[in-house]
Amino acid sequence: MKNLIYKEIKLALHPTAPLFLLLSALLLIPNYPYEVIFFYTCLAVFFHCLSGRENHDIEYSLLLPIQKKSIVQARFLFVILLQMIQVLVSIPFVFLRNYLIPEGNRAGMDANVALFGNVFLLMGIFNFIFFVLYYRNPDKVGKAFGIASTVFFTVMVILEALVFTVPFFRDQLNTRDPMYLPQKLIMLVVGFVLYVIFTGIAYRKSISTFEKLDF
Amino acid sequence: MSVLSVSGLSKSYPSFSLKNVSFELQEGAITGFIGRNGAGKTTTLKSLLNFVHPDKGEIQFFGQSFQEHEFEIKQKIGFVSGGISFYPKKKLRTITSVTKRFYPQWDEAAYKEYLKRFELDEDKVPDSLSAGMKVKYSLALALSHRAKLLLLDEPTSGLDPVSRDDLLDVFLDLAEENGVTILFSTHITSDLEKCAEEILYLRRGEIIGRGKLKEFQNQFVLCNFSKEQMEEPLKPYLAGYKREKEGFSALFYKDHLPEGNFDYYPADLESIMIHLEKGELA
Repeated sequence: MKNLIYKEIKLALHPTAPLFLLLSALLLIPNYPYEVIFFYTCLAVFFHCLSGRENHDIEYSLLLPIQKKSIVQARFLFVILLQMIQVLVSIPFVFLRNYLIPEGNRAGMDANVALFGNVFLLMGIFNFIFFVLYYRNPDKVGKAFGIASTVFFTVMVILEALVFTVPFFRDQLNTRDPMYLPQKLIMLVVGFVLYVIFTGIAYRKSISTFEKLDF
Repeated sequence: MSVLSVSGLSKSYPSFSLKNVSFELQEGAITGFIGRNGAGKTTTLKSLLNFVHPDKGEIQFFGQSFQEHEFEIKQKIGFVSGGISFYPKKKLRTITSVTKRFYPQWDEAAYKEYLKRFELDEDKVPDSLSAGMKVKYSLALALSHRAKLLLLDEPTSGLDPVSRDDLLDVFLDLAEENGVTILFSTHITSDLEKCAEEILYLRRGEIIGRGKLKEFQNQFVLCNFSKEQMEEPLKPYLAGYKREKEGFSALFYKDHLPEGNFDYYPADLESIMIHLEKGELA
């Protein structure tokens, strides 16, 4: 697996993947729907898979002395790694944003612990839809991304709407840290658990469909 | 022990079927896998490595089932499909640096030797290589992990005659000097005449000939006939026939010749293939 991850980075990595990590700096914008920042990682995942198609990455990987399912395993590990790095890179910007800008975010959820609950949920949903569709037919990566992005933004809009309409979200989750920290931690844990569940199901389904594909 | 044993390999598509393909490869032999475009050669080769899932059939490499020993088997084989199509903008050096990590028995000295022999520049990218050089790079990768069996899908297609001849020389050297077993598909019959000992002939998804190339060729003779002569009495004897400028040329099995005095002459592989493919009477 170590060698396959090396292959993902050395051969398959699309240059936008590391560049988009730097877009965590968008957290410094005072009023912005911060969940969008994490969509850029999803965009990087799409570019990574698109570039894989153009470079015949699967055909190359199939020739290597590995099991077929290892190709899917490596891709999931790489994507999870990328998404976790994006979260880690964004944390200092959350602190910096709240240090520099005392006001809350008027365009959506504040940059706080609960925001990451939303982010994990959105990335989990993206992984689920994108990878299940992608591994049904890797040539149709654009279709998989189009559908996954649409659902990502639909759920994001719903989550943002909750911030303006539902008292629990508006008055407790959409506040500066460390106010209502237990409630926000619950949101974070729920989001993370859903991320693990959605990504886990996507992984199992992807391996099963990919095994059956002919190349 | 055979290097590769295939038994009853079948795969159905809506418009094409691979039917009960069976053959064996012996160590150190060069086997030409021949058939016209669309005969099923690539499907067969891809089925061997499970790139295409066969509907049924048993495949054993070095006496081991591919399904159960995929990792070990892939260490010992090299699959080259008409040169490389992957990562066309990456330097060969980069592709190699990744690829070799997967092979514990990678022989760096042998790799350097093949680069020198094939005149490959590691700072080039696949896109800047000719078709022949791409095949040679693929071979260098396969041979540097000490592949004992090479499966080559139309490696000589698109090469000029000199490059083709060079490549066939390489195959001969590999088989003679290193004991490498080679199965290569082609529709260029002269390739086989130069270097193959064995032949597998696939027509419309079925093996219709296999064994020693010379023995296969010696089964047939050709004869020319006028239009009038190609009447009913001859037809049961024909393995195949095709139109010529004047009349027809007909292919017969030597052990099934029509009565009468005809001027038969030896059939070369290309003639055999054309007659069998064009004549519907075989």
